[in-house]
Amino acid sequence: MKIKNSLIKPFLTEGRIKTRKNEYTGYLDLLIENDKIAEHAMPGQFVMVRGWDSNDPVFSRPFDIVQVNPAKGLFRLIIKIAGKGTAMLNSLRAGSRLLITGPLGNPVEVPHGEKIILLVRGAGAAAVVYLAESAKKAGTEVFTFLSASTRNRLVCRDYLKDASNDINIITDDGSDGYHGDARDILEGFINKSKPDRIYTCGSKRFARFTGELEKKGLTKGYVFLESYMACGMGDCHGCAVKKRGSGGYFLVCKDGPVFPVNSVELD
Amino acid sequence: MIMDLNVNIAGVILKNPVMPASGTYECDSIHDNIFSPDELGAVVSKTIFINSREGNTPPRICETPCGMLNSIGIPTEGVNNFIKDRLPVLSGFGVPVIISIAGNSMEDFCELAGIIENTGKADLLELNLSCPNLHHGIEWARDKKELYRVIKKVKEVTRVPVIAKLSPSVVDISEMSLIAESAGADAVALINTYKGMKIDINKRKPFLGNIAGGLSGPAIHPLAVYAVYSSFTKISIPIIGTGGIASWIDAVEMILAGATAVGIGMYNFVNPLIMREVIKGIEAYLKDNNFAEITEIIGIAHL
Repeated sequence: MKIKNSLIKPFLTEGRIKTRKNEYTGYLDLLIENDKIAEHAMPGQFVMVRGWDSNDPVFSRPFDIVQVNPAKGLFRLIIKIAGKGTAMLNSLRAGSRLLITGPLGNPVEVPHGEKIILLVRGAGAAAVVYLAESAKKAGTEVFTFLSASTRNRLVCRDYLKDASNDINIITDDGSDGYHGDARDILEGFINKSKPDRIYTCGSKRFARFTGELEKKGLTKGYVFLESYMACGMGDCHGCAVKKRGSGGYFLVCKDGPVFPVNSVELD
Repeated sequence: MIMDLNVNIAGVILKNPVMPASGTYECDSIHDNIFSPDELGAVVSKTIFINSREGNTPPRICETPCGMLNSIGIPTEGVNNFIKDRLPVLSGFGVPVIISIAGNSMEDFCELAGIIENTGKADLLELNLSCPNLHHGIEWARDKKELYRVIKKVKEVTRVPVIAKLSPSVVDISEMSLIAESAGADAVALINTYKGMKIDINKRKPFLGNIAGGLSGPAIHPLAVYAVYSSFTKISIPIIGTGGIASWIDAVEMILAGATAVGIGMYNFVNPLIMREVIKGIEAYLKDNNFAEITEIIGIAHL
């Protein structure tokens, strides 16, 4: 695998849907042909995507880059179908063209030879797949805790399984894996395994929990944040998140999207 | 044939009539692979205050049909940091620099105008008299006496030509344009956003952190065209037409209505290449319709 160490400025570029599938309830899995994103995107980064010419909806939509295959010029997005824009993306067939801006945001530093935990829920699982794959390749042990309301919403389950040394499944309704709350089983695991870092996405509860673990001195915590955003490039100032302590705001697009968990106000 | 796209705003020659609306395009190097500001008729700063400001509580933006509401609240580093960090960037593109300023008082506007003039790097000064997200913002542009006084005061303290950015949230914006001209404004920018709001029906609360915000985007374009059209015959100073431009067609409409130049705002977020597309589109329109100069079409929609 080519080592990527320089951050490239975003492109405005066209992509084509290679395959699409609705494997999990309420989610769309898109494999997209685009050399530039596939070659340059790094873990933690995102793209703004639109697949329609009209001005309603007017904004492109931001999505985490889930996987890249630079050799084949492909990258993957997982899209939670939540509103007008994502419903329009879900209506597109293989072969449809997309307008893409990216890669955007700051890459997350890939840990080498460490032990990390990924604590993710729902659509948040999509944000950490690329990090998991890169970290594992860099000799890091990856332990994933994947949570969802129910079995058929365990997004990215297979991708994360392949990219982790071990994966724990947790569902609210007990339809798969541990029946209950991921936090119940996580603290014991952390005390035993002493991970270097935890990365979390998709749940404010999990983010607050991660913040507490860090405050207890158990591990370093990072949160992948999502936000409404219009541009993804720092122009609109729409994706502000309050800094903890010092006052003022970070922009999720320009300063993130991954933050040390205790550097931001989570509510 | 090479089309002449030059326009003149208060003695400042723009090589084409296209500029960003204040606060929608940072002229930041993040755009390097997509678009360079040296293609523009002018660069425009976000609105600068004397002191730094954090901006408003999130959520700050909300998509609406063909538009957006924003309650960003003008975060700024304050004028000193702006002059140190941002102004050298803005003045490095070889195109005229428009600095947008605002204040909480008339004294603020005058002080800022003086500070900016002393840098020697502002070709034009835009007075943001119409931000709907400021406590005192929109009021300047809604009160005839206040509008007159603030423009007149600023004109007394600076030789940099002044653009007055006006609010559409008034009874008759053409009257406000006339007042701006009579107070000494060298140009008007029409229009800022419309004040509006969105309610979250699940939370049963206002969606935006600041309750209300400013509506912009294609949804307001016909309103902006009318504001330009109705002001054009009343004033003799140039109009910078801003409001919902999402294509070169929208920009040509603005110019035919009476705008000498056009500002692209919200659509910079949607299409990072929009300003280039508008410049090229205007040029092609002139060529296709046998006009040699852009000035030939300014305001010709008037009967």
